[in-house]
Amino acid sequence: MFAARCIGISLALFLVLYVPASLAVSRAWDMLQQIVAPRTARVSASFLFALRILPFVLASAFTLLFTLPSFLLLEPRATDEAIGTAPLMLGLCCVALLAAGIVQAVLAQMRTSRALMKWLEGSTALESEDAIPVFRTVKDAPSLTVAGVREPKVLVSEAAIAVLTPPELRTALRHEMAHARSYDNLKKLLFRFSVFPGMAGLESAWAEQSELAADDAAVSCVRDALDLAAALIKVSRLSTRQPQAELATGLLHSATALGERVQRLVSWEKRPPITGRGYWQLALPSLGGTVFVVVATYGSVLTGLHQLTEWLVR
Amino acid sequence: MNAIHRFLGRSSKTQLGPLEQQLLEELWKWKSATVRELLDRSNLELAYTTVMTTLDRLYKKQLLDRSAEGRAFRYSPRHTQEELKKAAVGETVRQLLSSSPAASLPLSYLVEAVSDHDAGLLDQLQQLVDQKRRQRNREKR
Repeated sequence: MFAARCIGISLALFLVLYVPASLAVSRAWDMLQQIVAPRTARVSASFLFALRILPFVLASAFTLLFTLPSFLLLEPRATDEAIGTAPLMLGLCCVALLAAGIVQAVLAQMRTSRALMKWLEGSTALESEDAIPVFRTVKDAPSLTVAGVREPKVLVSEAAIAVLTPPELRTALRHEMAHARSYDNLKKLLFRFSVFPGMAGLESAWAEQSELAADDAAVSCVRDALDLAAALIKVSRLSTRQPQAELATGLLHSATALGERVQRLVSWEKRPPITGRGYWQLALPSLGGTVFVVVATYGSVLTGLHQLTEWLVR
Repeated sequence: MNAIHRFLGRSSKTQLGPLEQQLLEELWKWKSATVRELLDRSNLELAYTTVMTTLDRLYKKQLLDRSAEGRAFRYSPRHTQEELKKAAVGETVRQLLSSSPAASLPLSYLVEAVSDHDAGLLDQLQQLVDQKRRQRNREKR
């Protein structure tokens, strides 16, 4: 009974934190992004990703650092108290939410594996500049994509190889490698796992920024930028509008973004590298302050939280 | 948004007339206004009662909100211009799809139109890249 109560209360408090945090993020991400105004696409993509998974991380961290210890340390094991209706209902809702996330993530992974197997039929491995393998596909595969989470593979269709010049192909492949190095497919899997309605806008904004970030990573001079722009246009003309696998990231995101991306690449200029010092100068004191506050108030927070759970049970 | 869909879903007789459209656009510009304010701020050569009746009609069509202000009403648009445009496009597509017993037929027109638009956009973008390449080659020389 003690273990059941502990699990029930932990899940209930997880939900109590997760739902309002997710609602706040789904409503305010756009405004927050305007306030922070990230200087590069990479920083913007990272910021949006952090915002998207913040409710899940926050709720999990709170459960592990506060709810569980408060229950284990302060709840007498001998009492034969029932779980209580409110924690039971909230806990069941939380189980349903987590189960939905797990199912979505597993289905996405299965569908991607199936699509990847199909695309790889009759494919040949190409020489790769990177540790990530590149395959030349023959049929029913997207023109250029990186697919898979654990062992991502870059796939390039015969048609794409035929229409792209060697420099264009090289830059386009570097773009896909950048997605793989940023673990963008893993991030998509995490989105499926931390399910919550109303996050589509934020996820789409992240996808667009991660495309721009991969463009930036693939380009180091004006010639590269023009090669990538030309590759984008040529691959768009090839596009057969076939559905992409969920955990795959193609060269193209959407028709609207394509115009913006090409114009951005055409007006590409070499900029001095931006160091992350500014962000760290802000993040380190904030992190230190948070740790200090948590340590200083840990005992009283646990007691207060235990009182709250007692109230919730009764 | 449901109110817009309800409004757009009715027969074409209840669609916006030119005066209704003009007043709605004025209200989008000013955010909110009374009849007097609309007449003072905009170049509307209309009678007070005409504007008042038209705004009342828009209110009854659920496109405006109103609140009493002294002896008059202050009107404000219930939906943004973008929301109304989006709903109108959705309704047009819905009507298009239900206009033929073979649903795939109007859909294929739509896909064709979108593809033509895409092809045009790609041509423009290609020209942009070619132009930049030529300019870069000239600078190199």
